Amino acid sequence: MSEKKKIPVILDGDPGHDDAIGWVLASTIPEFDIKAITTVAGNQTLEKVTYNARRIAALLHLDIEVAKGRNKPICSDLIIAPNFHGETGLDGPVLPEPDHELSNLSAIEMMTKVLQEAQEKVTIISTGAQTNVAALLLAHPELKEKIGMISTMGGGLRNGNWTVGAEFNILVDPEAAYTVAHSGLPLQMCGLDVTEQAIVYPEDWERIRALNNPVAKVVAEWFDFFFIHMKSLGWKGCCTHDPCAVMSLVHPEIFDIRDYYVDIELKGRYCRGATVPDYLGRSGNKPNFRCVVGLDRQKFVDVLVDACAKFEGWEV
Amino acid sequence: MKKIPVWIDTDTGVDDAVALIVASTLPEMDIVGVSAVAGNTSLENAFRNARDVLSLVGRKDVKVYPGADKPLIIDLFTAEKVHGSNGLGGAIIPLSDAPIETEKAWDALYEKAKEYKGELVVCPVGPLTNIATCIIKHPDVVDYIKELNIMGGAAIGGNVTSCAEFNIFVDPQAAETVFRSGIKVNLFPLDVTIKAYLDDDDIAEISSYGNKVSDLFRDSNDLLYKAQERMSRSGLCEHDSCPILYTVHPEWFEGHECGIFVETQGTITFGKTVTDLWTDFKFEDRHCRIYLDINRESFANRIKEAYRSF
Repeated sequence: MSEKKKIPVILDGDPGHDDAIGWVLASTIPEFDIKAITTVAGNQTLEKVTYNARRIAALLHLDIEVAKGRNKPICSDLIIAPNFHGETGLDGPVLPEPDHELSNLSAIEMMTKVLQEAQEKVTIISTGAQTNVAALLLAHPELKEKIGMISTMGGGLRNGNWTVGAEFNILVDPEAAYTVAHSGLPLQMCGLDVTEQAIVYPEDWERIRALNNPVAKVVAEWFDFFFIHMKSLGWKGCCTHDPCAVMSLVHPEIFDIRDYYVDIELKGRYCRGATVPDYLGRSGNKPNFRCVVGLDRQKFVDVLVDACAKFEGWEV
Repeated sequence: MKKIPVWIDTDTGVDDAVALIVASTLPEMDIVGVSAVAGNTSLENAFRNARDVLSLVGRKDVKVYPGADKPLIIDLFTAEKVHGSNGLGGAIIPLSDAPIETEKAWDALYEKAKEYKGELVVCPVGPLTNIATCIIKHPDVVDYIKELNIMGGAAIGGNVTSCAEFNIFVDPQAAETVFRSGIKVNLFPLDVTIKAYLDDDDIAEISSYGNKVSDLFRDSNDLLYKAQERMSRSGLCEHDSCPILYTVHPEWFEGHECGIFVETQGTITFGKTVTDLWTDFKFEDRHCRIYLDINRESFANRIKEAYRSF
């Protein structure tokens, strides 16, 4: 029996507590072969999130280089979310210092290299603004055929969060999201529809803390910090957005996934950055997204806890 | 019993006609004026239909005022596919011989609102052009209107575009003017009005009553029924009766405090009602209530009772 071929994966994000937890999860998935981590400005400035990405890679013993991406959206000004993620963009537990040099390639060059070298179609998991991914598609349309799936955390079919119309990742760079949405590639979207149901409660992350391994302890402390802001908004736990974009790829059975045509509003007083679903198919356009709209919360938590258990016996 | 003074602003329309008919039978309601606006059909049709329907139900005493023949800023977009070329789905009823009012809707509404000293409830069930014009021309009207019970918008989805509802889509600038005016709004969007339907049994029952008012119902609803079939809904949604029946039976409806504004600058979201109902981000101004659920049984029974009474 031949070994099942692994899926080459690029993790593109702006860590960020929930990006970080998503990457912890990704690193434990046996079907994934993580080829690169690329960073993009969003939750915090590019310098900060890149430093965070390198510290996360060190924590997870990932033998890969982190490549720095775009420091601002395609054609708009950067907005950041320090109120959620703190001054460093990943406040809370002490993390190991980076143990690999920063790549001398840019994120786009790194993605290009991974795609060119890949024998299998590559999955890109985008958990921040989609600036790098859009730049890649615009710069190298010839490499589209090497992309098997772009899995995004962003948007919301029903509502936004940063504005009434828009979710943060899409609002940061709507033009990038538009480019991705209209790329014709297989796309998956984990919007607020699912991620605001992916709530991890304090008793859930106490299960993670009790695993008492170095990564699990860090994850529990990330939740501790992330909860400070979630709680101030009235949430009883943490909406664990970005891990949805990872977990739904390998555990679709836990999620409610529907195919819709979704367009991105680029203009508007209230709706710039809104992801607009065509529920009734009135536009005549074929679905362009697998939209993840619900999940079995308990199973989601169990998978997260199991993932954190895989670091037993590790030293940092 | 003290009656609630109500002003109805309508682009009469098939479901508007039902709303006017139901309103005319409510003992709790005093219809102190009706105004017509272009929307479902032209102003000319809407004005004539409102007059003729009121005459049909023996309420020639209710004055009907002509309003805007087009939206504030953009071109008029009508819904003849649903309401037919005459606005009543092709049904013909006798012309009203009531005196024709020439005072403009916004001036008549303003005078009436002042007269009722803050007690007047206004039920706009078409595009909000007349109401916006009233607010623009008579800014102090905001102090005199008790509340606006509006049929329009959608918290989720839409019926003209993927995210815009007809009444708001026809005149988004007027709607935004109204939502920004500070007048208390109870909004009855598609989310609740698609639950406010008469099922096939209800329709058969009303059609069998055999009076001149139920005959109008029977003869006017084919296009609307077919339009709803196209959207995979059976029965007839009585959108416009929602704010009317809410006015006297608020206990049949479930609402939520929120902020509501209208997107007037978007490309694909043009005419969308945006609410902060489910978002962490909240508008500063949250003087609206949005209604998402209804006791359909009571609602449908009251409409049937209205038609039976003729």
